[in-house]
Amino acid sequence: MPIIEIDGKPIDVAPGTTIMEAAQALGIYIPFFCYHPKLSVAANCRMCLVDVEKAPKPLPACATPVADGMKVSTASRKAKMAQQGVLEFLLINHPLDCPICDQGGECPLQDITMGFANPHSQYTEEKRVVEDKDIGPLIATEMTRCIQCTRCVRFGQEIGGIMELGATGRGERMAIGTYVAQAVRSELSGNMIDLCPVGALTSKPFRFTARNWELKHTPGICPHCSTGCHIDIQSRGREVMRVLPRPAEAVNEEWICDKGRFAYAGLAADDRVTQPLLRVDGEWREVSWAEALDATVGGIEHLLREHGAQQLGGLISARASVEELFLFQGLLRGIGSPHVDHRLTQQDFRADAAMPLYPALNMALEDLEREPVILLCHGFPRNEQPLTNHRLRKAVLAGGQIFVLAEQQRDFNYPVTQIVAGAGADVALYERLCRYLEQPEAIAELQGDTVLVRAAQALRAADNPVILVGSGALRHPRAAELLYWIGQVAALAGGRLSWLGEGANSAGAWIAGCIPHRLPGGAASPQQGLPAGAMWASGLKGYVLMDCEPTLDCWDGAAAEHALCAAELVISIGCFSREAQRYAHVILPAVAFGEGAGRYINNEGREQPFRAAVRAAGEARPGWKILRVLGHSLGVEDFAFMELEEVTRAWQRAVGEFPLDVTPLAPFPHCASGAHTAAPLLRMGEWPLYRSDPLVRRSAPLAQQAVARLHPEQAAALQLHPGVVEITTATGKALLPLVLDRKIPMGAVWVPMGFPETRDLGPAMGPCAIASAPTVAAAALAAV
Amino acid sequence: MLSEQALTEIARERAKYPEDRAQSALLAALRIAQEDQGFLATEVMDYVAHLLGIEPIRAYEVATFYSMYDLQPVGRHKICVCGSVSCFLRGSDQILAHLEEQLGIKVGETTPDGLFTLREVECLGACLGAPMMQVGDRYYENLTKDRVDSILAALREGGDDVG
Ligand code: SF4
Ligand code: SF4
Ligand code: FES
Ligand code: FES
Repeated sequence: MPIIEIDGKPIDVAPGTTIMEAAQALGIYIPFFCYHPKLSVAANCRMCLVDVEKAPKPLPACATPVADGMKVSTASRKAKMAQQGVLEFLLINHPLDCPICDQGGECPLQDITMGFANPHSQYTEEKRVVEDKDIGPLIATEMTRCIQCTRCVRFGQEIGGIMELGATGRGERMAIGTYVAQAVRSELSGNMIDLCPVGALTSKPFRFTARNWELKHTPGICPHCSTGCHIDIQSRGREVMRVLPRPAEAVNEEWICDKGRFAYAGLAADDRVTQPLLRVDGEWREVSWAEALDATVGGIEHLLREHGAQQLGGLISARASVEELFLFQGLLRGIGSPHVDHRLTQQDFRADAAMPLYPALNMALEDLEREPVILLCHGFPRNEQPLTNHRLRKAVLAGGQIFVLAEQQRDFNYPVTQIVAGAGADVALYERLCRYLEQPEAIAELQGDTVLVRAAQALRAADNPVILVGSGALRHPRAAELLYWIGQVAALAGGRLSWLGEGANSAGAWIAGCIPHRLPGGAASPQQGLPAGAMWASGLKGYVLMDCEPTLDCWDGAAAEHALCAAELVISIGCFSREAQRYAHVILPAVAFGEGAGRYINNEGREQPFRAAVRAAGEARPGWKILRVLGHSLGVEDFAFMELEEVTRAWQRAVGEFPLDVTPLAPFPHCASGAHTAAPLLRMGEWPLYRSDPLVRRSAPLAQQAVARLHPEQAAALQLHPGVVEITTATGKALLPLVLDRKIPMGAVWVPMGFPETRDLGPAMGPCAIASAPTVAAAALAAV
Repeated sequence: MLSEQALTEIARERAKYPEDRAQSALLAALRIAQEDQGFLATEVMDYVAHLLGIEPIRAYEVATFYSMYDLQPVGRHKICVCGSVSCFLRGSDQILAHLEEQLGIKVGETTPDGLFTLREVECLGACLGAPMMQVGDRYYENLTKDRVDSILAALREGGDDVG
């Protein structure tokens, strides 16, 4: 082990360590711009020059490996002159416009200049000016400030997985940009803002709204997917100003995705409810809490008297905290209704009894990086769990192999082997895979299925491969059949099942018993309730909704709307009113993102508490308090909680220790094959990245357009041209711009969920018809 | 987008490098594409990137770095005057000014008749004969204003390689 000395302090480090790393281990600060521990070494800013004994010239600490006996000085005259020289050169072309720069106050260039520069510049000539680029609604550019450290470029290439920014031109004319005008598309793009050491890349939504020293920092947990990234909620007064990642090596390293970063902008939506709303004779009225609670409790009591508790159902989102989920099911069950669920996007519940305690990754996120062979079953984590996807990407870069079985091709940002069969035929993929796993000797004779055979061979050769059940598998209209086959694949391949949870607290929702067949802790419910989909089909008389918009969040928005509009009583507890006003009778304002406390359980089973960053808006109340009052007023036992901690403790008592590794409670049943829709054209729907929950849907910078996608050959066969098309299903119509996309299988049209425009179309997967839009309607759409 | 011959040549260049090092063939592939198409339009660079299976921005980076790649259509003769140290000390700026005057265009422009494009480039490795310029594939060294005039006249008369 080389022993070196930095500023007179000796240290014993592993061979290959750089001077920078050794200095950091010693707590000695060496200024730097381009160096970043998660990125490759570029050594192009030269800020880290240090004086190494016997070396004729100063050496870059970030790129110089230590050698035994090396004596380094970071503050000798030679080192100081190098630092001053580099800064003087860097500032030659820097505009020094700190007063109007958003980076001011959190800018390494500012800080390092203050700490290390010669206060006098000899430069009197003209400065160069670089044209700003429009790279989309999230990142503002001020390219004259760029110091060409290439951190942003390396991030795209090495972490984001799509290289979009580059350094074009040479010497004095070198500039960072996309060359052709285009928006960056990486779902991790916001991290470049954090990485940029100057004000060249700043956050567009946050721009010019606050100085960093005015902001209060509150540690939080991202509510948008099951990764559970650690975030830093920065607020001023009562307003959340921005969200940044908080370093957590085991969870999100130091990144977050753009959904987690910019969804907060949805808090400014004009339909945020801050006062209880009551529908009186068809009119919405703002009322006091007392009045709203009277109406709610009275309404529920009336319903219980008239129709019995079996006519009341409760649906809650997987973004609710463990405490809220626990109280929610306690409330419903306490007044006698077994119908409680959180799995809004699911449709097929035939495998419920066999499901494990909760959808668990069954390993640490960090372990995922080291898996050599993974079979991903129906999922697209790049959209659904962006930072879990980042771990999968690392697994591939480290030489791992990922096979994906799915109903359509997708844009993975790392090489994977995609094996697709259009909707309806995709279940059979698993069946065939099982055959190849079972009879390896027969493989040679099989024709035409080479990729699947290759997957089978890789799975057999691997020791305990990971069979990763994606969120798309549970959402599948024939999920139970898929699960049966996935179970078979795992058994035949000697692999282990691992699950990608969908919501931030999917794990918590299962464990807390917000499912119709199990109580908190997983014990079977004595009274089996209706799962989400069946609650619509049965047309209950009353519904309690918490933090969800069933018309947009559910597998079949049209059925949800129909059932809700027909019900006698719909209580909506949430933050927004636009959708709720279509069907609810009472809207109780709950606290929104950043305003509440509680805990989530992420995909790994990691319990992550969070607290409020800002005060609740207006009259909004924490969800757990609303539920407590309702429970108490309706005479539910043990609901007299005063503090959140009491709820947490009650939950802990009810659940006990929950395992981090789970297995199915029983083998998945072999279900009869669901009627395969033999429609000439199938609507295939999924929730796009930024349409997956009420808050992100309202975030203006994350706005996404609803479009229909067709394979070009399918479009040609139907004689459709890009333009506006009309999609028709049994329940409704939608007018959407048509986009041609080779990733969509023949016989299907991709139509997104989560948009008011497509709400009336009904099930995410089902028969539909498509035609060029009537001209009048198309013109109307174009005018919007 | 490219001729059969260009595609074959690019494939040959590509084959020289290992499977995961497609980028190594980029310089050659861009040169071949430029010879084939006259200059590198964005679509041509996109296509070359697509052929090599790399992101288009990689092609843009390389093509904008080297002055030998033309991102815009150029005239029949591309005159590249070296402006680096040795040539500068020997009066390259006067040669450049003279060329601008004779051709009636500024550096970077093309004459209206499409005959000449004028460029200033970095050292072309012929410092011994400074000041110098490159026209097409040929170097012209120890330039004086008179010599420039005679070269221009010969080029105007239809020569491609005049000396
Ligand atoms: S934009 Fe920022 S991160 Fe990118 S090269 Fe310039 S200074 Fe570095
Ligand atoms: S990956 Fe998931 S948890 Fe992390 S920031 Fe994105 S949405 Fe939030
Ligand atoms: S930090 Fe070492 S050269 Fe930039
Ligand atoms: S300086 Fe002109 S050729 Fe080298």
